[in-house]
Amino acid sequence: MVKIKKTELNEFIEFLMKDYDVYSPADVGKKAAFKKIKSAFEIKHAITNTHLSPKDVFFPQSEVLFQYSDDGLKVPKREEKAIAVWGMRNCDTSSLLMLNKVFGDAHQMPDKDMYKDPYWKMKYDNCLIFNQACNEPLSTCFCNWFEGNPFAKKGADIFVVDTGDHFILEGISDKGKTFLSKYKAGEETTKVDLNKIAKLKETAESYLPDVVDIKPLFNKMNKIWDEPIWEEISAKCINCGACTFVCPTCHCFDVSDEGKGKKGQRIRLWDSCMFQIFTREASGHNPRGLSTQRVRQRIMHKYNYFMDNYEQYLCTGCGRCVQVCPVNLDIREVIKKVLDYKLSKNEEI
Amino acid sequence: MCNCDNTYIPIPMKVEKIVIDNPDRSLRTYDLSFVNEEDENKFKYMPGQFCEFSILGKGESPFGIASSPTEEGLKFTVSRTGSVTNEIHYLEEGDIVGIRGPMGNWYPLEKLKGQDVVIVGGGFAFTTLRSMIVYMLENRDDYGKITVIYGARHPDLFIYKEELKIWDKRDDIILHLTVDKPVKGWDKLCGFVPAITKDVKPDPTSWCIVCGPPIMIKFTLPVLLEIGFAHDKIYTSLERRMKCGIGKCGRCGIGSKYVCIDGPVFSYEELKKIPDAF
Repeated sequence: MVKIKKTELNEFIEFLMKDYDVYSPADVGKKAAFKKIKSAFEIKHAITNTHLSPKDVFFPQSEVLFQYSDDGLKVPKREEKAIAVWGMRNCDTSSLLMLNKVFGDAHQMPDKDMYKDPYWKMKYDNCLIFNQACNEPLSTCFCNWFEGNPFAKKGADIFVVDTGDHFILEGISDKGKTFLSKYKAGEETTKVDLNKIAKLKETAESYLPDVVDIKPLFNKMNKIWDEPIWEEISAKCINCGACTFVCPTCHCFDVSDEGKGKKGQRIRLWDSCMFQIFTREASGHNPRGLSTQRVRQRIMHKYNYFMDNYEQYLCTGCGRCVQVCPVNLDIREVIKKVLDYKLSKNEEI
Repeated sequence: MCNCDNTYIPIPMKVEKIVIDNPDRSLRTYDLSFVNEEDENKFKYMPGQFCEFSILGKGESPFGIASSPTEEGLKFTVSRTGSVTNEIHYLEEGDIVGIRGPMGNWYPLEKLKGQDVVIVGGGFAFTTLRSMIVYMLENRDDYGKITVIYGARHPDLFIYKEELKIWDKRDDIILHLTVDKPVKGWDKLCGFVPAITKDVKPDPTSWCIVCGPPIMIKFTLPVLLEIGFAHDKIYTSLERRMKCGIGKCGRCGIGSKYVCIDGPVFSYEELKKIPDAF
């Protein structure tokens, strides 16, 4: 373990910057989001959950796929250093593991390189994740429903705890251990520190809501596709798509061309299954033309379809969608409603 | 330009020939040739697969491959419907376009070997069915009896009319062409595809491939089931709006399946488990 005095964090970040482009929670306008920082002084420490998730670091809101001109096509190369992300909470770290199943491993088509996303891989494959323990989970947090924990280390390269005056860093992955072994400064970690960490963990856990057993959710979802519950759930949704943009696991995108004449670029942009136009075909036919169908698609994707394909739910309980929804459509309530739902057809679950 | 390590990069292809398929000029068929030999050698496909057809600056759209792998180059038939297809209709012979693919799965041609095959098609969705018919005729000895039921709203709206005439004269393929309403000078069948399928009553021990507009598929499947076709011997090809073509962008999801990678070809056995697939 490496113990760094908060006042000396900048030395560590500078050391990190020798090999990495460092991203961290920082002020972006009036909100907090992950952005590339130039010094430790830009790091926003007090924020528990950034308003935007760090998916943006690896899967940007807009990204050039290639440029075209008379000279042919040009794919932008990543000239910069590998990416390190400081200050990521475990809900977000977990989300990257989920996204990597879609973009990186192409789990459904493991043998075929054509299903691996090169733009994701060139950023994600060599990244270094500093997963920071969450000392004060918010009232909207429910990571414990998904086997998460504010002090979980899953997916971390280096685990960080803020103990007040210090950061205690622990190498988790081989990559993380190797990196930490190169950093020679810092103080010795003592038993007092370890006790402090245990105490902080206990306090953090006390903030969490009661655990809801979501294991039956998948099977229940299999049976309710045609049920009136979807009308009820979606009644107040205005299809604004805010939940999908702040969600660390939502990854739908659009591909679109910009340019005039023979010069321009093809870009991809975040898109949302909440939008009516998302699935509307040129003929006018729309398989998900109704709001109810779109809300069902999003919820089913998270708690049923993704499980079918990747054996886990596509949600980490970060609670961002709960925070931003303009009509207070609380996904925790949706989950409970589905679990409690009595099937109208009297089917056995 | 090469798609070796980046699926999003189209390969260049040259428009060799354009055929206007109908008098209202809404359907055109494009024969494309590979610009680079390397791309051509790598492009291995089977009937039923599709490509993203790209016009730089305008975007890309998915189309079923209408040529057979036994032919040179690629063939696509495009209906003028939206902004990309509009742009495709402005193409001239000699122009260069971008192609990504082949994508998706294909018709179960291996399973069909030695079997009788019934093909039911409607309108301009006949593209991948053409691919399949040409493929089977090229490998004629591998397959049993081939029966084709093909319907269009009007005689003008059939595609590949010249080929249909040639197939009609062959004795190793049975062709039933039908139009929705009687038209002067039309001496073939009259009536919707489901009704004609009922009349033709193909042998239910054969395999059936259905491809057409959703409404046609919806009403033809019950007819096939009534005749007695096995659920796992009926195949169809689905269409959805697509962008990436590699199961990531989220548009073409039907249940936990993606039309672009799990399809576009699905058996009825698979489809009946997916809600609202067509």
